[in-house]
Amino acid sequence: MTAHDWYIEHRVDFVARTLDSDDEASFADHVRRCDECKAAVQIIERDLAWLPMGALPVRPRPGFRHQIVRNVIGDSRPAWRRWVVPTALAASLLIALGLYVPERRESDRLARALATRTGELMSLRDSLSVMRQAARVLQASISMNGREGGLLIFADDVSHRWNVVVHGLPPAPPGESYQFWFICADGMVRGATITSEPGKPAFLTLGMPAQGGTVMGAALTMEPKSNRSPEPRGKELAHLML
Amino acid sequence: MSADADRSLGRSRPAGASAGDGGRFAILQGKELRQRLIARDEQALVELIEVATPWLLGVTHAMLSDESDAEDVVMQTFSIAWNRIGIFRDDGWDLLPWLLRIARNRAIDRLRSRRRHQMKTKLIETLGGLDERVTPAPEPNEAAQPGWHVHETVKAAIGALPDDQRTAIRLAYFQGLTQSEIAEHLAIPLGTVKTRLRLAFDKLRVSLATVKDWNL
Repeated sequence: MTAHDWYIEHRVDFVARTLDSDDEASFADHVRRCDECKAAVQIIERDLAWLPMGALPVRPRPGFRHQIVRNVIGDSRPAWRRWVVPTALAASLLIALGLYVPERRESDRLARALATRTGELMSLRDSLSVMRQAARVLQASISMNGREGGLLIFADDVSHRWNVVVHGLPPAPPGESYQFWFICADGMVRGATITSEPGKPAFLTLGMPAQGGTVMGAALTMEPKSNRSPEPRGKELAHLML
Repeated sequence: MSADADRSLGRSRPAGASAGDGGRFAILQGKELRQRLIARDEQALVELIEVATPWLLGVTHAMLSDESDAEDVVMQTFSIAWNRIGIFRDDGWDLLPWLLRIARNRAIDRLRSRRRHQMKTKLIETLGGLDERVTPAPEPNEAAQPGWHVHETVKAAIGALPDDQRTAIRLAYFQGLTQSEIAEHLAIPLGTVKTRLRLAFDKLRVSLATVKDWNL
């Protein structure tokens, strides 16, 4: 028996894969080199091609066929085909987001600016209405550090509000501030602290104080910031009586 | 082969004609489906999966005795087929036998690489009989399964073998055992196993010649 006889004898075993692993590897190597055995093996393979149909068919579980389709087609699609739609969607979203975010920021900024301007306009209208409806106007001149300024009060008896204008005064020294007071029947009542900016008059619209009784007049003092008392302690700059 | 088997095979039909069990199996006939697959027709793949899956599961399930592994191998089989259909040569192989061969080889590889055959041998012992089937029992409508007539023909061919040869074939071909493993399992000489298998395969090659010529 020659070595080749062994291969001839085991051709069908090779096709049926009943050889042990070493013999199978040896046979596979031989078939690659031996055309005669290769042709014979192909004939046997064809002869036994339908033999696996001897096994009973097994009904696939529900959804398994669909899973195969998804798996096979998903695996085999070129990478660009698998990713092109999600990538395009993602890119579209990014572009839309890229356009939306700055637009939204600009829109928010404009809305805030508009609200601020609207508030300022309403405040000015309100101040103007107090001035236009004022029943009385009180004025006092103030001289400070060589500058000539003044305190102007528009008293609206209908809305019971005053529009107070302080003009021409230098900025308050460090540690001090301009303080407006109401002169009431029961004494002085703290009004508002006024911030003076060079070259710009200060406008305030004040309601009448709830305490102290009838308002009889107003005063402006240069008050130490440390003074938290209800009574003025600083220098009086103006004093006006209704 | 019996007369019934002959009739069920429909040997008198022209190649490409539909079998008596419906036209779905006929889609595996001829080159039309193959050409559609080569053209990457996904509907053709769906049709192939529809018809071939039960048979592939039958082979892999019988060999692996594990539903998950069997499904995995079938999945791989279709992936391989879909990716290699372009280089699938018209050398006498039809689609279903080609798929069955891929599936069986994959199942054997998996069986051996995981040394599952040892578990398998124990399982066969547990079942207590060599003719016990590890495949699921036939379902009531299996006769309507496309390709059922081919199964009946193959089954008849195997059934016509002497008991000892039939046993050897079942263990070797349908349960993936090697000759040595069969010898060990049956406690008989290796030479006896080889002889039984050789005789059985020789008979089957003759019996299945008609199926081979049936151009599915």
